[in-house]
Amino acid sequence: MSALLEVEGLTTTFPAGSERVPVLRDISFQLHAGRCLALVGESGSGKSMTALSILRLVPRPGRVEAGSVRLDGRELTKLSVPDMRRVRGREVAMIFQEPMTSLNPVVSVGQQVVEAIELHEKVSQKAARERTLDLFRRVGIPDPEARFHAFPHQLSGGLKQRVMIAMALSVRPRVLLADEPTTALDVTVQAQILELLRELQAESGAAILLITHDFGVVNQLADDIAVMYAGRIVETGQRADVLRGALHPYTQGLLRALPGRAQSGERLLEIPGRMPSPKDVPAGCPFAPRCPEATPACPAWSPRFTEVGGRKVACLMRESRGELG
Amino acid sequence: MSEQEAQPEPLLSVRGLKTWFPIRQGLLRRVVGHVRAVDGVDLDIHPGRTLALVGESGCGKTTVGRSILRLTPPTAGQVLYRGHDLATITESEMQPLRRKLQMVFQDPMTSLDPRMRVRDLLEEGLRAFGIGATASERLDRAAEALRRVQLHPDHLTRFPHEFSGGQRQRIGIARALIVEPELLICDEAVSALDVSIQAQVLNLLGDLQAELGVAYLFITHDLSVVRHLGGDVAVMYLGRIVETGPTADVFAGPLHPYTRGLLGSILSADPDVPRTQAKVLGDVPSPADPPPGCHFHTRCSEAWAPCRTIAPRALVRGRLTVRCHLYDEAVSRPPERPSPPAS
Repeated sequence: MSALLEVEGLTTTFPAGSERVPVLRDISFQLHAGRCLALVGESGSGKSMTALSILRLVPRPGRVEAGSVRLDGRELTKLSVPDMRRVRGREVAMIFQEPMTSLNPVVSVGQQVVEAIELHEKVSQKAARERTLDLFRRVGIPDPEARFHAFPHQLSGGLKQRVMIAMALSVRPRVLLADEPTTALDVTVQAQILELLRELQAESGAAILLITHDFGVVNQLADDIAVMYAGRIVETGQRADVLRGALHPYTQGLLRALPGRAQSGERLLEIPGRMPSPKDVPAGCPFAPRCPEATPACPAWSPRFTEVGGRKVACLMRESRGELG
Repeated sequence: MSEQEAQPEPLLSVRGLKTWFPIRQGLLRRVVGHVRAVDGVDLDIHPGRTLALVGESGCGKTTVGRSILRLTPPTAGQVLYRGHDLATITESEMQPLRRKLQMVFQDPMTSLDPRMRVRDLLEEGLRAFGIGATASERLDRAAEALRRVQLHPDHLTRFPHEFSGGQRQRIGIARALIVEPELLICDEAVSALDVSIQAQVLNLLGDLQAELGVAYLFITHDLSVVRHLGGDVAVMYLGRIVETGPTADVFAGPLHPYTRGLLGSILSADPDVPRTQAKVLGDVPSPADPPPGCHFHTRCSEAWAPCRTIAPRALVRGRLTVRCHLYDEAVSRPPERPSPPAS
């Protein structure tokens, strides 16, 4: 099966003094139609920067230095600016963490979705309105006719996020980039929105690139997982495989540090130290200074993947021991 | 702890606490209503033990913490601590008690003065309460406080911006503990931290409690953290406590439909646990206009007539206290609903 979205060797840099510092290094993954890939990592790991690099929205003075992004075989890095804009609106839609800052506060939420539809398709005002109401029903907005005229501030966080999802779906995207889509929501609402995203994906067959720091969210929605650390992917695999038996010491550490996994009152596993900022990322394996398994060889090893059975891990210790399968 | 063991005297008791915020409107800023952020809360915090106060945004949990310390003045009710009612004593009576009641905030970047060095941040409390006779004694205490939160005494001369989020939170904790409090109120103290750093701070708080015997009021929305902390838990919804009891008991057998829904919304990272189905529908109503009766009835799948008009009273069921008509024999039931089990 060929991938819908194929990212290869994506490298993005920012200037620091006289040189350029990579914030993403050699990011490669494939996203297939109808599947959800979760990019998981802590703050500063580069997961949001990956999404921005794919969309060519990296804020200046950052820039994509190298790599290829193919949507259905079409190279996005080479598209003209107007063509890229069409891709962003029509084929790749985004849902962000903060619905309040992504919605226009002075236009009714219904009108905003209507405008999104009209921007990308030649439809009558009436047809766009009908489709908006239909979308509102599909994303579970109660009383859609009345909510159509509401302004963002009149809606709760959960309803605003439903409006954002309706707007993202209005153009029938093939890829949905969801950046921490439930992080700002209360837990009871979060469960509702994740259920909605699952249903909508099954219904529309869109591919989802989910960006999150929360393994609970990953477990709800993702088919595949890519774990990021300090601008690199360190491990990829199917959801259950990674969550059940992570291979990279960083992934293992993250999962053991989750308070939900330990017994009550038991000490949590700590990962000592913290993620380095891009300009301080050490040579060799970036996780080596915090890694419980690091050897003197790790800081001198340039990370590359060991692959067995569809899983990949970038760890010298796994490579040398061939510890897979 | 054995079943028969008598509960020791609480360190701090909150009774009938109400904190209302006026809603003002018009040119004359007349009061047209109140946001009942805290609307009749009872809590007991025991010495050396943790009470987690958990709820969704807008439920009033932060206001409870602030009202206990009078950072936000309570409208009514009592906060009983060592024979004083913190809600009514004068500020000069309150001042010496503040040493024993400290607070750690969610965002250490905004709660630490960026122009002060760590040493001054730590010694500020010592000076305020007249602890440490000489400058060198205060410096020793500051160095000791840093060591306790696993930072290096070299850090004393640095400024807050030179630290990471996790380290700043350690400084916030050191600053609170340096005056030897009996109660530390932690308001979302680990919520802004990444998982690996959150684990470091949670372990640290556990170690400090074992070492110093300090009690925690741990205000959080994160149920995984609550379960990890153990101790006791109080579940808050729209200004009221709906259920309280030992954390292990509440997680093993929650009584209130809201608690059940909340616990059912926890997203497990275990691939062998079935995916979560949303248990509580809709959003939290506005605290400016809470529903009558039981505040939760608009989202409760088990609500019937009295839930819409009568506020539920506190009922003791085993080791839990719950406010829900389902467990109240005195509330008339619809024909199809059986009487509650006797406790």
